[in-house]
Amino acid sequence: MVLVAVATLVALAAAVVCGLVVGPTSIGTARIIGDVFSYLGLGHSTLTSTQSSIIWQIRAPRMVLGLLAGAMLAVAGGTYQGVFRNPLADPYLLGVAAGAGLGATIAIVDVGSGLAAPSWTPLLAFGGAIIAVIVTWAIGGRGLRSNTSTLILAGVAVAALFTSTQTFLQQQASTNSITRVYIWLLGSLASASWSSVTLVLPYVIACIVICVVAGRALDVMSVGEDESRSLGLPVRRVRFIVIAASSLGTAAIVSAVGLIGFVGIIVPHIVRLLVGTSYRRILPISVIFGAAFLVFADTIARTVMAPSELPLGVVTAIVGAPVFVLILSLRRQMVTSA
Amino acid sequence: MIELHELSVRAGSTALISDVTLNVEAGTWCTIVGPNGAGKTTLVETIAGLRRPSHGSVSIGGQQVSSMRERQRALRVALVTQHPIVPSGMSVRDYVALGRTAYHGLLRAPSVGDRQAVTDVLARLSLDEYANRDVVTLSGGERQRMVLARALAQATMVMVLDEPITGLDLRHQITMLELLQKEVHECGLTVIATLHDLTLAGQFADRLVLLDHGRLVLDGPSGEIVRSQELADCYGMNLRVIDVDGADVVIPVRH
Repeated sequence: MVLVAVATLVALAAAVVCGLVVGPTSIGTARIIGDVFSYLGLGHSTLTSTQSSIIWQIRAPRMVLGLLAGAMLAVAGGTYQGVFRNPLADPYLLGVAAGAGLGATIAIVDVGSGLAAPSWTPLLAFGGAIIAVIVTWAIGGRGLRSNTSTLILAGVAVAALFTSTQTFLQQQASTNSITRVYIWLLGSLASASWSSVTLVLPYVIACIVICVVAGRALDVMSVGEDESRSLGLPVRRVRFIVIAASSLGTAAIVSAVGLIGFVGIIVPHIVRLLVGTSYRRILPISVIFGAAFLVFADTIARTVMAPSELPLGVVTAIVGAPVFVLILSLRRQMVTSA
Repeated sequence: MIELHELSVRAGSTALISDVTLNVEAGTWCTIVGPNGAGKTTLVETIAGLRRPSHGSVSIGGQQVSSMRERQRALRVALVTQHPIVPSGMSVRDYVALGRTAYHGLLRAPSVGDRQAVTDVLARLSLDEYANRDVVTLSGGERQRMVLARALAQATMVMVLDEPITGLDLRHQITMLELLQKEVHECGLTVIATLHDLTLAGQFADRLVLLDHGRLVLDGPSGEIVRSQELADCYGMNLRVIDVDGADVVIPVRH
């Protein structure tokens, strides 16, 4: 466990360096470090003002937003897998993605009424995601009396409703609007700024803390609802808090960066292979690993086809799908040999 | 100690338990018997607080179970379900340690006392050599002992077990029931269990409660109940009871 924690922290440090150093404009690591030290009063920066702006106004907020998005999506995925006792659960299970997609589409698509307001995209995406989860919860569980199966089914129904509404709106839209919706749906950190970081930071930090602290409760819940209740766990209350935190944090991230798939599924699974099945270990390591993973993926997204960018969701899927298949086959081998 | 007062449990419009009144003394073993669908599992789940009575009440030590919070209830009554979920990847020690959840809560790590309690119960049930093994690698008998260990780690005065010997071979059935009996005799544990095997039910319980269609039919010393006509009637079978070295053996006889 200690070894894995150290390795993921090293990966995180490497991702941070990558996020700041790699880009179309070549700026050496030593000069960036020198610039950091100059802020601390140690030595002088050798960066020009343009280079300094590239680092601190473009790459740094993008890297920090990537860290937050990766950490939040990974920990939310791990938490959902624990609370639903379902290895295929991801942070979008209860309709967050569909709700955010519809909200963003409403903001982006001009269906002729002149009401489209692209600058409202994050707000409407956030609102759509939250509404979708609330509707799912209301249908699937009647609040605290819910159980996981009905919640999942309600999530499927709500996602279908929201997605079909979104599709209908897209049908009415111009090609240009549709393209912008697709770009948003595939996720990107390109529009990251310090203001978007500060906007999502409080939600994400609070939600990550709640999810990580819930690790012990999720371990108890691994024996099923009835048994965990008999062990003293207030299952329904814990489930409500954990789902609320995961969904809120995910909605905040989705509103800022769009829909980035696979992080919420593959990161917790990779971590599970490394540290075992206890959520007390999976969740904190997923936070670090997810943050590093997304910053690396974003580095690939913005450099492979520079100066244009690959959608981040495409990169996480291209990297994620083979890794996911590899994990499944490794797990099968482990089960067979056991 | 445990009082069921005019207890009824419904699922929608279906009555699962109807008007059951029962008192179980502390430090005794009461086994609930009855045919499939009699309401045995519903009854033990209600005693364990997993179901709410639609009428009447269940009290443990004078306090109503339905008014207790989960943690408070877990300090008074432990449950062994018929088909316990055993999460793969968890060690036997970690699984048994789940029994201490109500003591340390969700925000604190287990104390030295919690860890010692787990070590003690592992030793008591001869599971210490398996402590670091993955739970899924245990045999059926070892697994059932581990589930009992988790319930014992809760250190409650009452234990409720739903068919605890399902799927075990004869030797492991006896081992499991003897372990429980030892806890009753030596530690004053109060046991309420459901069993299908009438011979074992009669041999291990101080008292049998016969349930049919959710109603309490008979309640009394094991020897009396296994010889009663009502027992045979509930199962729709001819039953013969043979005394083998002082132990009652119940044999079904084909018509």
